[in-house]
Amino acid sequence: MTSPFPDAAGRVTEAAWHADADLLASYATGTADPVVVWSVEAHLAGCAQCRSALSAHADAERLARNRSVLLVRVAVPGGGRMRRLLCRCGVPDHLLRLLAATPSLRRSWLLSVLGVVAVVTGEAAAVRYGWIRADRTGRLAGYPDPEVLAPFLLAAPLLVLAGVAAAFLPSFDPAFRLAVAAPFSGFTLLLVRSVSALAAALIPVVGAAFVVPGPGWLPAALLLPSLTVCAFALAAATVLEPRAAAVTAGALWALPALLLAAAHLPLAIVQPNAQFACAAVLCAAAAVLLARHDRFEWGGMR
Amino acid sequence: MTLNVSTAAVGVNGLSRRYGATQALDRVDLTLERGITGLLGPNGAGKTTLLSILATVNEPDTGRVSVFGLDPRQAAERVEIRRRLGYLPQELGYHRHFTVAGFLDYVAILKEITDRRRRAEEVARVLAAVGLEGRARTRIRALSGGMRQRLGIAQALLGEPELLILDEPTAGLDPEQRLRFRELLSGLPGDPVIVLSTHQADDLAAICPQVVVLLQGQVRFTGTPAELAATAAGRVWAADERDGRAHLSWRGGDNRWRHIGDHPPGGAELVAPTVEDGYLLLSQAAGAR
Amino acid sequence: MRPGAEERDDAALLRSVARGDEEALAALYDRHAAWLTVRLTRRCAMPDVVDHAVQDTFLALWREAGTYRGGGDVAAFIWGIGVRRLIDAIRRENGGRRRSPWRAAEPEVVVSAEDQVLVGIEHGRLGQALAGLSPELRGAIEATVLDGLTCAEAAVLLGVAEGTVKSRCHRARVALRSALAEQQAGPETPAHRRQAWGTT
Repeated sequence: MTSPFPDAAGRVTEAAWHADADLLASYATGTADPVVVWSVEAHLAGCAQCRSALSAHADAERLARNRSVLLVRVAVPGGGRMRRLLCRCGVPDHLLRLLAATPSLRRSWLLSVLGVVAVVTGEAAAVRYGWIRADRTGRLAGYPDPEVLAPFLLAAPLLVLAGVAAAFLPSFDPAFRLAVAAPFSGFTLLLVRSVSALAAALIPVVGAAFVVPGPGWLPAALLLPSLTVCAFALAAATVLEPRAAAVTAGALWALPALLLAAAHLPLAIVQPNAQFACAAVLCAAAAVLLARHDRFEWGGMR
Repeated sequence: MTLNVSTAAVGVNGLSRRYGATQALDRVDLTLERGITGLLGPNGAGKTTLLSILATVNEPDTGRVSVFGLDPRQAAERVEIRRRLGYLPQELGYHRHFTVAGFLDYVAILKEITDRRRRAEEVARVLAAVGLEGRARTRIRALSGGMRQRLGIAQALLGEPELLILDEPTAGLDPEQRLRFRELLSGLPGDPVIVLSTHQADDLAAICPQVVVLLQGQVRFTGTPAELAATAAGRVWAADERDGRAHLSWRGGDNRWRHIGDHPPGGAELVAPTVEDGYLLLSQAAGAR
Repeated sequence: MRPGAEERDDAALLRSVARGDEEALAALYDRHAAWLTVRLTRRCAMPDVVDHAVQDTFLALWREAGTYRGGGDVAAFIWGIGVRRLIDAIRRENGGRRRSPWRAAEPEVVVSAEDQVLVGIEHGRLGQALAGLSPELRGAIEATVLDGLTCAEAAVLLGVAEGTVKSRCHRARVALRSALAEQQAGPETPAHRRQAWGTT
């Protein structure tokens, strides 16, 4: 049995000494003397040859298992800065992973929303700032040119609704049947996606409301109608077919908006009276949703 | 309507389902035990409807379902069934921008595996089981049809389900992959109840010890593949010419005509019936009604 | 294979990993996971915790391969990550929260000249000197010198209080110094030895 410490005194370079097979084997299995372990480890830190020789004594199956798990962890997207920030705030990681399947949170969708918003806002701004000549008829309490806001007021909550609809409509989820057949609560899944889609869509819309030439309270006034329209769609989905529910919710906003615009009172749709109406509808929708949410646990779509 | 099904098995009783004018399922009674059961029938026979009802994705119009003693009409029991379930629907769609591992991770979350590490281990396990280990980072849109099918089977295996429902799992697989699929099914841990549907009789004969033939929404046969073949005993012939009086006849690979019927043509010899022959005879009979 | 060539390959692999090459990561794993697993197992007896630490190490490499500045051994870089992931895993096992998620490059622990000499003396003299230490002292000095941990991290690894680690390290160094000084021969000149250890 050769001594692990050869007679060569003092500092030994890698070229002169390498751990032999017995030594590596005893180190790998944990039967080596602790002093020997120190020596071997100090050597391994600098000697690639002995490191690869050690592989022969390692547990191959365990290494292979860890390797495949590693490659899976690498393949699963870790998420961007946003996700890490939310994780730190305490949102469970698995909920965030569920959002990856939501089309309305994808860059392509958000860019489209941004595009529509830009067009509508740009048109309003262009009229206001005189780039395009327009007839000025009907003033509303001193706000300039309320009619230029009509397209924006029509589109804004509908864009938010579109985002939420894409989050809960089965036709937007290719693996919808898998989600139904899985134990994870269908209602929780729907809520997580809808709330995130709502938040994501509200940002460009409310942001544009700051830019659009209108009253200063416009950005805040858009929140309740957007929320109401989305809540109505979700609640209606417990009664109607999902697509019909989304269309109904959209019509519920579009019709009054168009009528008021035709009557030269587009801003009335976000005035306090309308806000109270929205609040009432929102409460009703929330109640219906809570009472009938188990409809989302079935595939349901007969 | 009592359902005498032990808690170790899956059963349906008097199941009916109608879509508009079509009666997709008509008073179906069935019991599925541990092991592999094959559901054989043409497209439109009600296989997909039956499987989707078993997978709690669909509700029947009438009838009772019992999965390991649990009733899917009760909300809490339904969730418990889904915990033990693995389901591959027909024509499963995928989020095309997902990677293979990303998609499986997503399904694993839906199956309530909340711990990230456990999910990665499960995903690695099922990827190895279907032979897609090297594809963890590939985007789904870059996969071939056969690989996508294997991915579908992989997601059904997540969580080691006790009830595995596979709707046309061998569609799009080449013969070597079918062989691997058979090996995979026979080696699953925990001896689950497996039910798979197909319209190819030779697949069934190789994989399933138990066969159910579903025609026009009704169960026409339950038994082993050998028994199904035996139903055509004495009515399958091989000859050198075609015969117009036979129920069915076609030219086989050996350049001889194969007839299924009651009256053999002259010069024909009796041959041993295959599972397919039995199935064809049954569907012929069903069609005649 | 010359050790120099191996190191260049490792560094090149790390650069590939920084560019998102998954096969380079797999190659690094094939080269380094074996010794890392064994070495971590010598520090922590729970195989699940070690497995998690190994996975986390290479995951950290995947995410932050760019932090490797090219100075020093890739193996030492990997060990630095690995042992800290092990400590995180032990902390999690004991119920605490991770201090800093996913920071692959921890601040460099300043290694004293004395410790560098200690690690350099691999065989013979050091072995005999170490043999004279009790297991607790040996564990403390191994964690701080060989593994390059801070006292706080070593405390987690050894499962003792931080103050205990500090005092054990001190006693170990005193004992090692006297044991090494007693030994004869060695290429170091007496002057070098005096510089390294001070007067006995």
